[in-house]
Order: sequence, then C-alpha cells, then structure tokens
Amino acid sequence: MPRPERQTITFSIDGLEVEAPENTMLADAAKYGDIEIPVFCYEPKLGDPVGACRMCLVEIEGIPKLQTACSSPVKDGMVVHTQTARVKEAQRSVVEFLLINHPLDCPVCDKGGECPLQDITFGWGPGRSRFIEPKRHFRKPLELSPLIAIDRERCILCYRCVRFSQELAEDYQLVLLERGAHSFVGTFDGHPYVAPFSGNIIELCPVGALTSIPYRFRARPWDIEGAGSICMLCPAQCNTELTVRDERVLRVLDRHHEGVDDGWLCDKGRFAYQAIHVDDRLTTPLLRDGDGELRPAGWDDALARAAELLAGAGDRTAALAGSTATNEEGMLLARMLRDALGSPHLDSRSGPPVDLDHLRALGAPALQASVPDLEFAHAVLVLDCEPVDDAPILEMRIRKGVRRNRVKLAVATSRPSALDPSAAATARFAPGHAAAFLAALSGALAGAPDLDDLAAAAGCTAPELTGLAAALEGAQDVVVLYHDRILGGPDADADAAAGLLALAGQLGLARTPGAGLIGIPEAANGRGLREAGVLPNAGPGLSAPPAGGRGAPGIAEGLANGDLDVLYLLGSDPLRSHPGRRAWEAGLAAAGGVIAHAAFLTEGIRDHADVVFPAEATAEKEGTVTHPDGRVQRLRPAIGRPGDVRPEWQVLHELSGRLGSDPGLPTIALCSEALFAAVPFYAGLTLTELGGRGIRWPVRPGAGELLPGGPDTATTGEADGGGTAAGGAQPTPTPTPAPTPTPRRSNALTAPGARLLLGTYRSIWAAPEVEYAPALKFLAREQRVELSPADAARLGIRQGDEVLVTGGADQQVRGRAELRNAIPEGRVFLEAGIAEHAANGIDGPLVSLHRATSTNGGPSGSGTPARARA
Amino acid sequence: MTPSAKLLFKGIDEPGLATLAGYERRGGYQALRRALAMPAEDVLGELLASGLRGRGGAGFAMGKKASFLPKGTMDKYLVCNADESEPGTFKDRELMQKNPHLLIEGIVIAAHAAAINRAFIYIRGEYEQQARILDRALAEAEAAGYIGDRVLGTDLSLPLVLHRGAGAYICGEETGLLDSLEGKRGNPRLKPPFPANQGLYQGPTLINNVETLATVPAIIAMGGAEYAKLGTETSTGTKLVSVSGHVQRPGNYEVELGTPSREIIYDMAGGPPPGREVKLWFPGGSSSPVLTAEDLDLPYDFDSMAKAGSMLGSGAIIVVDDSTPVLDVALKLAKFYRHESCGKCTPCREGTNWTVQMLERIERGEATPMDLDIMASVQEHIIGHCLCVLGDAMAMPIGSMIKKFRPEFEAHMEAMQLGAPVASEAALAAQGAA
Repeated sequence: MPRPERQTITFSIDGLEVEAPENTMLADAAKYGDIEIPVFCYEPKLGDPVGACRMCLVEIEGIPKLQTACSSPVKDGMVVHTQTARVKEAQRSVVEFLLINHPLDCPVCDKGGECPLQDITFGWGPGRSRFIEPKRHFRKPLELSPLIAIDRERCILCYRCVRFSQELAEDYQLVLLERGAHSFVGTFDGHPYVAPFSGNIIELCPVGALTSIPYRFRARPWDIEGAGSICMLCPAQCNTELTVRDERVLRVLDRHHEGVDDGWLCDKGRFAYQAIHVDDRLTTPLLRDGDGELRPAGWDDALARAAELLAGAGDRTAALAGSTATNEEGMLLARMLRDALGSPHLDSRSGPPVDLDHLRALGAPALQASVPDLEFAHAVLVLDCEPVDDAPILEMRIRKGVRRNRVKLAVATSRPSALDPSAAATARFAPGHAAAFLAALSGALAGAPDLDDLAAAAGCTAPELTGLAAALEGAQDVVVLYHDRILGGPDADADAAAGLLALAGQLGLARTPGAGLIGIPEAANGRGLREAGVLPNAGPGLSAPPAGGRGAPGIAEGLANGDLDVLYLLGSDPLRSHPGRRAWEAGLAAAGGVIAHAAFLTEGIRDHADVVFPAEATAEKEGTVTHPDGRVQRLRPAIGRPGDVRPEWQVLHELSGRLGSDPGLPTIALCSEALFAAVPFYAGLTLTELGGRGIRWPVRPGAGELLPGGPDTATTGEADGGGTAAGGAQPTPTPTPAPTPTPRRSNALTAPGARLLLGTYRSIWAAPEVEYAPALKFLAREQRVELSPADAARLGIRQGDEVLVTGGADQQVRGRAELRNAIPEGRVFLEAGIAEHAANGIDGPLVSLHRATSTNGGPSGSGTPARARA
Repeated sequence: MTPSAKLLFKGIDEPGLATLAGYERRGGYQALRRALAMPAEDVLGELLASGLRGRGGAGFAMGKKASFLPKGTMDKYLVCNADESEPGTFKDRELMQKNPHLLIEGIVIAAHAAAINRAFIYIRGEYEQQARILDRALAEAEAAGYIGDRVLGTDLSLPLVLHRGAGAYICGEETGLLDSLEGKRGNPRLKPPFPANQGLYQGPTLINNVETLATVPAIIAMGGAEYAKLGTETSTGTKLVSVSGHVQRPGNYEVELGTPSREIIYDMAGGPPPGREVKLWFPGGSSSPVLTAEDLDLPYDFDSMAKAGSMLGSGAIIVVDDSTPVLDVALKLAKFYRHESCGKCTPCREGTNWTVQMLERIERGEATPMDLDIMASVQEHIIGHCLCVLGDAMAMPIGSMIKKFRPEFEAHMEAMQLGAPVASEAALAAQGAA
C-alpha cells in the first residue's frame, strides 16, 4: 500500500507565508511557521481529531465561525489568524471554562511543572477566574487500576484516554460515564482498568487526572533528568526515555520512534523499571562454597574461579546467551568460546539449530519488512506469533493498520490470538505443525485441488486455508510476522524455514517494496546475537564458522552425558527460558561448573551456578542491539551501576584475557567498532551515526551483497532490481511452483482422544522483572491450562478447576483450567517462562489431563462453572 | 389561513387514516406511484423547485441537501429524524400518530429522488405509542409493496427500519443521532465531514425531519412550482406550529408561512388567559432567542424571525405571559440544557453548568447586577464556540432574556436584598449567641 504522499502548499498564518504539507491539520501546520496553537484533546497519535476541547479555535478567512485548528486541513492559499481579538477571547474563555471545575492543586499534583493545562493557562488563559460557585467534587484519588490513579476533579474530559482504550489498544474498557458536567472517566462496570497497554493513558493525559501510582509523589519535574534508552524486555525494543533522579530510574516514558514503537509502550516496559532497584537484585559476585552455598565474593576471586573452570573445560565449554545481552557482549562471548577455548558450542536460541542457508535466506535484506510496513501493507499474515505476548507494541501497530488503512489481517496460529476479532481470516493449526501448515497454505495459494489432506496434516481445516489464501492472494504487498518458534521450537514437527521461504517466494515478498518478513526471536536481542555470531553453526554476520557446534538441546544433552563440562550463561537461565526442563536439570546437575551473569537468582542459577557475576540492568548498559526488523540501536547508560556490578563486556573481555586470548578492546566503543568490522553488513556503522534513532541495516546501500544466501529471485522468473542474486551459489528453495508435499499425518493428530496435543506460549507477563517489580507483581502469572470446553466436558473438568497435566515419564504440571471456545478439540495450551509449574516441566507432544483431587475441598468442587471465553 | 392550504393536517382527525386502507382511500401512495414513474432527477427537481426548507430547526433547503449526496453505487442512507426533543415541539408526534403512512410515503419518494437504498426512522424513546403505530404502518406498507424489495415492482429497494432512541435531547442533533443509531453513545460528531458525505456507517446519508419528509408527497402531488406559491418567496409552503404555554387553546396548527404571528397566537391558539398579556414568546422552540409583545405582528416565516434576532426553529411557539417571572423561565431552560449537554465539548459542558449556578444564586438573592454581566459574557463565550448547537441553544435564549429583561432581573436582586436586610445581622447575632 503506498504511503500517503503530500504536496507542499503555501498558506498564510498571522501574516506569515508558510509552507506545509497539504491537508496537515492546522494545529500541526502552524508549527511550520513557528506558531503554536494550544490544544488539549488533539493528539495525532490517536487518529482522527474529535474537536472536543475547543482550545484550538482560530479564524480562517472566508468561514464566518471560528474553526478548530485540530480538525481543519490546511489548503493552498488559506489565510489563518491566531492572534485576533476574537480568537484570543475564545481561547481565554475556553481556559476559563476548563478551570472552573479544576481544583488548581498544582502544588501537590504530580503533573505540576510538566502540565499542558498549566502551560496553556499561563500562555493563553485570562489570568483570573470569575467563577465563584462551588466546584464539582468527586471522590479522589481512586485507583483506576493498581498502576494508575485517577483524580476526576482534575480531569478536563478531553477524551484522550477513552479514545486510546477504544480505538488504539481496542481493549474497550474505558468509557465516559454520565453526561454533561457530571461526566467522568471510568470502566463500564467499575472493574480496574487492567490491560497490556493501559499505562499509555498516563502519558496521554494533558492534566494530572491520570497519574502513575508507582511514580506518585516520587519527584517533581525540576528534580529529574531524562535519559534516552531502549526497553530490552522483549524483541520489540521500544525506544524509551528514563526519568532519573539521584541515580535511580523513577519512571519510563515513550521516546516516540515511528519506525519502532509509534510512541507507545506496554505496561511491562513502562513499569518493570522498578526491578532495577529491588533488594533481590544481585550487586556483588557470588561463589559457591564447599558447603554448597552461594556466598558474596570479591571480583578477583570470582574471575579467578571462572577462569579456572573455563580453562579446565577448554573446548568442553558451552555457552548460552539470551535476554538483554548486547551485540558486543555476544561478540565477546563468541570470541571467548571460539578463540580462547576452541569450543563451538554456543547458542542464543532454545531450539535445535536452523540450517545456516535458511537463516541467511530468511535474513536477506530484500525479504526484510520494516515495522511501519505492518501498517501500510495490503495484508499482514501473523504466523504462529501472538504479538501482544511476543512483541506487544507490534500488536498496536497491526491494529492501527487494520483500523486506519484497512490492512487485511490473516492470523494463522495454533493458539487463539487476541487479534482474531480484527482478522479477515483465521486458521488454527495443530501446535508444532507450522511446517505442515505452511505446506498446506502454499498448496492453497497454488490452487491445489484437494486441500483436505494438506489441512488434515496441519490440523486445520480446508475452509480455513482457502480463507487465508483469499485474504493474501489479492494483496500486492504482504508482511509476514512469524515467531522464531516455528523454526524448530519445543514441539515443532520440522524446521519450517523451507516452507516459509517457499511462501515468501509465492507471495513475491522479495520483489515487492513494503512487503517482507519480520521474524520475532525469543530473546530481546535475538537477532543481534544471531548476527554477532552466537549460534552453533554461524559466526559473525552469519558466516560459516570454523567448526559446527551443538545447539541448546545438544548442549543440555552433552552436559548430562559428560561430553561437555562447563556451562557459561550470559543472561540466560535454561530452567526458566528453555524447553525440556528435565533435560536441562540433568545437564546442569552433571555440569562440572556453571558460570552465570544474572541480575536475579532464578531457580537454575540459584541451584546450579558456581560463579555468579551480577548483571547490569539495561539502564546501566552501553552497547548496541538489533531490532527484529534489522534496526541497529544504541544503548547508553542512564544511571550508574549499583554495588559492585561491572559491565558484562568487561567481564567477558577480562576472562578472555585470562584465558590467553586478549581481545584488545579496552573500551566499549572499541568493542562496537570491532563488532561493526566483524559483521560485514554492519560495516561502516558508527555509534554517532546510530545516534538515538538507530539504522536499519537491510536498507543500507549494498546490504544485499553483504549477506550471502539471499533468496535467488532469478529462479522465480521475476524481474528484480536489487542485487540480491549474489547468493545464487547457495542452495535456495525454489519458491514456485509451490511444493506439493506428501501429506504426512502426524501421529499426534490421530492419537486417541484420551490425550491432548500440547502447545506452549509465553505471556507478556512471564518475565522475572514482572515478579520482582512491586507494581507489576499482581500480574505475575500462575499456570493456567487452556483447553476446549468439549474436551473439558469429556474429562470432567470445569472452568477454574485445578488440573494436573501429565506428559513424558511421570512429569507433571499443575494449573487452573481455563476453558476457551476458540481452542479446537484435542489441544491444550500451557504457559512457559513462569516461575512455577511452567510448561517446560513436561515434554509433549501428547499429554493427559485430569482434575487434581484436593483433600480440602479446594477450588475444584466449589466454583460455579464460568462461561468459557473466546 | 385558508382551509385549502392544509396539506399535512388535511383531514388529520379522519377515523382510520392511520391504517393503510384509510390512507389509500384518501389517495394515499398516489404521489409515490407518480414519483416512481418519473426519473429520479425530475423528482429531485420538483423538490428543488418547491423551495421546501427543513422543518427540523436549521431550515436548510431540503432538495439542495438531497442533491449533495455523492453519485455512485455505494450504500446510501436516509434517516428520518423523529427524535422531536425540542421543548415545546409536538407536531411530529401528532403527524406520526394520526397519519403514519404520509411519512412513509415521503421517505420512499425522497429515497427515490436521492438514489438511497436504506432508510431508518429514529424515533424518540418516549414516543412509545407512536412507535407502535409506525411499526404497524410499516408492516402494512411492506406487505403492500411500498417499502422493502423492489418497491411497487420498480428497481427501487428500500428496507425501512424503525429505531427507538433512549431519551436524550442530544440524539436529535443529526450526528449525535447517527452515533446513537450505530449503537454508540449519542455524542455529536465533528463536521465536516457532513452526513451527506460520511454519515451513517461512514456512508452518504440524508437526514430529514418528519415534517419535511411528510411534505414531500404533497409536493409531488401538486408540483414543486405550485407548492412554492404557498408561503413567502423564501419560506415556501405550510408549517405545522406547536403552540404551548400561556395560551387558551394550545395545540398544533398548520399555517402558511408568512402568517402574522399574532394571528397564530391569538386567533388560533386563543392568546393568554383573560387579563394577562404576552410577556415573551419563543418563536421556534426553547432554543430560539425570545421575542416580546412588540414582535407579535411579525410575519411567521424563516427570514422575518431571523431578522428579528431569533429563528423559526422547529416551529414551536411557547408563550409566557406576565404572570411568570423571567428568572423562572431562564432557570428552567438552563437546567434543561445543563441536564442534556452531552459533556463532550468544553463551552457547553461548563457553560451550561455555570449558567445554572449563577441563575440559582440570583434566585437566592446572592447576586449583584455585575453577575448579569458575567452571565451575559458566558453566553457569548458559548455561542459559536461549541462542537454542536446545543450550547448555543441555551446561550441564545438566555442571552436574549438578559438583554431584554435586565431590569426585571435587577429588580429581583434588589427585592431579595431589601427583603432580607437583616439576614446578615441575624447571622451575626446567632454567631454572637453561640
């Protein structure tokens, strides 16, 4: 879909001739002439203007009545006045009206000092009020949610928060209740406003009506400084501005980046900063004593012990990197393993390795869509990805595209998605059957005559396939948003990369501008770590490594059977984040040594680490990270490191030196330079160039030649202007004609009904930071066992019952039953990544369920069955 | 007015008129047959020629409004505004109750003229009886093929749905009505876009008042040019006038536009009870600026009312005689608008609330003439600054009352202060005793 292109026109404002893009709203166009028109309700991020506050009234020649500048598109030759007596009187009167019921309690209001109402009152108000009647009163402050306080007396009813809830986040919770001067903002039924994006309304509020409970009374604007940063709690890597007071992060605000977050944050990103400053955080190195206890130690001892373990293990060392590790840390880790220890066993993914040629093809610049492409594509296919959990802010972007640009949304997932109601077509395939599903979808797109067998192999239906194909077929540019889990996740049937590349060929993604793939990795910096060479089968820049190593599952196995000795964990706790907990428990127990960088003593670290280095928080880090759409972004420290925390890159550097292979990069800037030199497609980047906005490397000149193995578009027979044929020598899948795989009916799909097929997911709230941040604790998740009402009825399970899920050899996970109509029969979904009873406690693909027999009556017998949700 | 000029209320009390048989017996739906035999442009041409101005309040030329609808094959909507929520207005109620098929016929003809394929009647929630009558009439009309698929065998298909509102004044405002009809909270929308371009469900929409649409069959029957001969040059045709308040024969009267106001108030409605004089009157519903006894000889038409600083509005004359203090009228009125303000835009939400509070203070005797200046200035700050016209609907009559009856307000203030000169002393004494 073409981006809107606007012609520049000339209009007159207050006697100045000003050039502005045509049809820009006057409130924005005025800024081109350095003229400010005051607004309250107008916020371009919220979409169409509503003209409610009436603050922006201006005079437009030829129109008798004053007009709202927020809703008047500027035209060539328009003559606008913002300074006439008539306009000024209107502005003064609106400020007077707004203040008559406002408590004017600025001295005790959190917003004071950074309040648009204050600023506009000073700038445009009458200076005094003639109102002497009693003001309107409400009970205050009230908790709109555990995170947001609402003061209805301060509210000026600008509708911003309500519009956000109704039209942006589409959680439909906030409404205006009552009418006229009695209007107030609330939820329809009085429930707390708990939603993944609720915190944005705090920033949207132009007065002090909605304030952050964690930030309340912590600082005044003159006490604080702002520091640009990047949220590293998920791969969406939203740009943030941290509010810092006395070396503490007190608040997180959005740092609007159209190419990344569109100016929004999720609540995890907004409130998890509290976890930086909790007592649970590790601030000194720990060493395991002879008696098996972890005790604080000095750096010299810790480094010496780690070096000793590593030197002893040599090429029998393995490493996992995850969560917030930067590109530089990844590079140093890879160098330590490969150069200092001669070990090829390192991984930043949790599943089995993906074929390098496939990785290169999937990462080819011509195939990379950008985040804004989600908004302007003709169609978006969400493939086994739940955006609100996997990269929350992208869900808002997709909703925006559907709502404003009528993007056709196709959702193909195994677990029902929050985006289903917005989708033009949906398909539910069997968990772990992405490869079969992609083959089936390709078949449907190629017009295969009989889809039933293909559909059956994927566990979906033929009408679902034709529906998706219909949604995608007519679209010129399609963006496919997929999750890394399809490339051989915990319960995948096969590596779906070939199928994905074939689909990309069929849809012509490589040759259509604005079309492409966005792959969401597991780790926040998964793409950066991959490109820095933290893979068993790839060096920096996806180059072929000197020797192939074991992937994560192989590492667990190697540790358990003694092939490997020492495990180095950089921001990773496999018991928490990796599937196959049983295998990892065995591996960690058998390991000769475990060295970990960690901020918190999560289970795997607490029970198995011999050396623990205290990890930096993102706010303390320096380095670069890479967004899933290829944007290299820069992290800069906002606060100092607490206690004895040292930068991780320094620790890695020091250890390499002690192991006899000094990288010779004594500053982080030199590390970044070395990274840019080592990764061909980062070549020439500088930290200055990255600045605060980052750079998408796939669109840099010549990027196509720098990553070998891009899809050979010549084989598609299509004309192609780019230089992406450089990888022609690589074995590339032939996208057309679509492969017609032999339908392979997996045993799982024909299994007897007693057992269900297991799928896993990781919710937005499944993160240690959520458990450790006091404000977010209430959102920390407990296991819930999602299944269809029909299966539940058959198994005698009711909504809310406590359920035991059994898989593998006597492995059990306990959780509460959650009945969902949208789950097809024969499938059950468990949540991964949570502290207790996580999904990785059992091995699929088939599991059995039964109600937990509770001796004390328990919740299973007492609860009335609630209606199943969609 | 001569009886022959009666168009809408002709034989309105005839028994059985509300049934299809009764309506057809009187020649009902003949205009529709005639219109359907004409090309749509010609029907529109007749409407344009008639000069018919909207009877809902704004007085915009109906044919012109219909001609604004874009051409094309998209769904187009006609919405009949039967919310009739303006205080003092009850003409549409009588029309729908006694002659529902006239409205239905008018809707179908208008839909034909503007190439509309879906129609709705949005009726106010309080009109339960009228809604039942309309429902019955719609069923009859559908069975007889006047609405629904292929009207009378032509290519015109027009599903016509009756929707009952839930009782909010603001839903009589056309865009608030559309929001309400779409199932949302009835709040006015920003204009532009105007409903003719983006109205119901974002589609082109023609919105007309009941009376406007009910006039259409007569125009087709007699011809637009012939209709234009009725009334004055710029206010053609007849108008239903609801007369209420201090008159001896309140009710609906059909008059030719341009009839002297005195004739309507005194000759038809009987004027105030004996011994009382007209003090002020609202010529077009409660939201029109008030006129006084001096204005009684003005011709009752759109332009004369506008020239006098008021408006014809919905054609509802409310008469207030000299037995009622102007303050009571102002307070009643302001309270109504405060209650009905949707709260979306600032000047209306805060201005109506403030005005009521000031009027109450005046009533309690806690005000000075300076407060009248503030109140007048508040009205000026509302007028023209709001999202819709509800704010103006309070500010214009209140402003006019302050302007025209300032001495009476001041006399009240003085009387209240003179009447309780020792109030503060008594309070002081009470304090001293405590």
